[in-house]
Amino acid sequence: MNTVVQLLRLEWKSALRSPVLHKNLLVNLFLVLTFLYLAANFLVLGFLLDNILMEVPIDGITNKLFPDDWVLRKLNRFLIYYFLVDFVVRYFMQKLPALAIQPLLHLPISKAKLIHFMLLKTVLSPFNMLQFLVLGPFMFEVFQNLETLPALSWVLSITFLIFALNYLAIYLKRTADVDWRIYVGLLAVLGSIGALTYFEIVDFFKISGLLFNSLIDYPVTVLVPALALLFTYWINFKYLKNNLYLSRISKRQDKEVNYVGDGFLSRFGLVGKMTELEFKFIWRNKRPRAVLLMTALFLGYGLIIFTQDETPMKIYAYIMFAIIITGMFILNYGQYLLGWDGSHFDHILTRRVSFEQYYLSKYMIFAVVGTVCMILSIPYIYFGANILLLIFCVYLFNIGVTAHVVMFFGSFNPKKIDLSQSSMMNWQGVGASQFLLILPSLGLPIVVFALINVFATTNVALASLAIIGLTGILGTKLWVKLLASWLQSKRHEIASDFRNG
Amino acid sequence: MELQIENLKKQFGSYTAVDIDSLAIASGESFGLVGNNGAGKTTLFRCILDLIEPDQGSIFIGNSNTSASSDWKSFTGSYLDENFLVGHLLPEEYFDFVASLHGITKVDLQEKLVYFETLFNGEVLGGKKLIRDLSKGNQKKVGIAAALLFDPKVLILDEPFANLDPSTQFRLKDLLKKLKYDKGVTMLISSHDLIHVTEVCERIVLLEKGKLIKDIHTAPETLKDLENYFAGVGSSVLED
Repeated sequence: MNTVVQLLRLEWKSALRSPVLHKNLLVNLFLVLTFLYLAANFLVLGFLLDNILMEVPIDGITNKLFPDDWVLRKLNRFLIYYFLVDFVVRYFMQKLPALAIQPLLHLPISKAKLIHFMLLKTVLSPFNMLQFLVLGPFMFEVFQNLETLPALSWVLSITFLIFALNYLAIYLKRTADVDWRIYVGLLAVLGSIGALTYFEIVDFFKISGLLFNSLIDYPVTVLVPALALLFTYWINFKYLKNNLYLSRISKRQDKEVNYVGDGFLSRFGLVGKMTELEFKFIWRNKRPRAVLLMTALFLGYGLIIFTQDETPMKIYAYIMFAIIITGMFILNYGQYLLGWDGSHFDHILTRRVSFEQYYLSKYMIFAVVGTVCMILSIPYIYFGANILLLIFCVYLFNIGVTAHVVMFFGSFNPKKIDLSQSSMMNWQGVGASQFLLILPSLGLPIVVFALINVFATTNVALASLAIIGLTGILGTKLWVKLLASWLQSKRHEIASDFRNG
Repeated sequence: MELQIENLKKQFGSYTAVDIDSLAIASGESFGLVGNNGAGKTTLFRCILDLIEPDQGSIFIGNSNTSASSDWKSFTGSYLDENFLVGHLLPEEYFDFVASLHGITKVDLQEKLVYFETLFNGEVLGGKKLIRDLSKGNQKKVGIAAALLFDPKVLILDEPFANLDPSTQFRLKDLLKKLKYDKGVTMLISSHDLIHVTEVCERIVLLEKGKLIKDIHTAPETLKDLENYFAGVGSSVLED
């Protein structure tokens, strides 16, 4: 027992002394507020759950047949979907329990104890706790309305299932790592269940009802979820027990990488070469690669916008759309402009590279990706040539103005990005400048457009965006010079921040 | 003089990291810096390379004030730590980039890499491993080779022997000696390994709490002197 207390204290210290907690007050505040908001929503949902269910019409179940528990039996019809969604969300978002186990392995603590600790800790994950906010009030009512034995059976079963899914998700995540095939598989299962329900081929509501009703009708079936929990816990334990060796848990999969020589851009001298290196950087690191994939995903955003019915603010929705497809990358990548280079900033400082060349290569990244996005959005011409023209005007503005603004703000108070971490729910490197400076700069084209639109027609306002953008593009050299001299004066400060974490 | 330090001072809070009145290193001199942890060796090197802004004082490499101009970057090779490497590149790609900064052609680069083959010992080139996935020792080999790639006149290395296996330590020592005698490279090397540093360097400076406390030309008895100092940790052994 003593060891467990010691381990708990270690955990507590690591949470309390986490650099993120101290350096990132704003982000923490934001996260806490988001969490509280979610929790409040879930709690309200929990209290209203029986009222909501009463509104749901389902044939075959009437008040008369089941006077005491018909609401519960209605809920049971949905539970299969509930747990499915729960599992998918977990698989995508829940983090693996990270007990910094490496420094403990050589100490006289039994491995089994370490593993149990690591696994039991996950019970406290918000992904479990939030569910009790939704189902908790309902569980309370179940006890009030049903006989003790069926009520106990149902409540315990649901609890067991929540934790069984917890351990199943962790197990899959740990063994298969984050494999896109599992993502696709999960989505396929979810999609096909949805389709089967929609086309009324298989009635999963009925199946779900049958399964979960039996928990009430035959309380002994509580053993099934109990065994499921024990089994999922056991496979986790077994796996960790067999794999708790340094060589296996330190996930250094040295992927083989092929040599990539000079490409097309290298012909344009050093800046082109540095731009190519930057693309290698994006492609070979998880987090910037996620930014690129995100950009690709958002290219389809127009399909949502253009298939909507007419709205009075249509033009603004269209501009927003154009901003997002041509500017998403600038914003997402540019917000950590210098932070990306945190691990090799000394390299940049001691090499024969001027800050102007450095910034110019950063600008080239924005210009290249922005232009590619622009070209890829050409099929939107299907919705009218005007749309394409609008995208083009906003594109020029993004490349000419937004990119420059983001380059400046991204250089402001940069934080080193830890590249070994994945991108999901990763707030490392996010600071005040992201919330207060960079996100708002996404709205620049709209503000400029709206201002001009007060005095002139829509077309003139759009043309103005394009002209301002072009001016900005022509002024790149000058702007880069200013940025470079600014960085020149801040270089020592930034380099030492990067070196210290 | 190849390198000239005047009146240099750097404090972190109330802690004085470097405090040097004057230090000049002649062209072609091999200069070794020794001292315990926290003596200020790395801070001094960082100041020289304009990675840290000193509170006062000036540093010249050749005719170039390191904080005011960047001319020195064209003839100064340096490797202090992994921050000098670009982790997401293959060693070959990294060498490519450094070479292109100094106008070295692809053909010349291949020739130069042959020169480092004994140092690499077949563990660096053609491995398909990104620099960040290399072992510490192999990362160091990449860093040192990149520092030497463009035939620098001045070479600055922090703890070059640490993390290297014994064979590589000997090879590196040979390489450095050759650079000194054949090419007249001015070298600044810090090390905890007294034997290596006395062997490679003709001049050794001992740093303690940021101050130069001993400046010696290497002689047969130097090693003994240094060993006595470090065994007594700053006692009066050297205060003659």
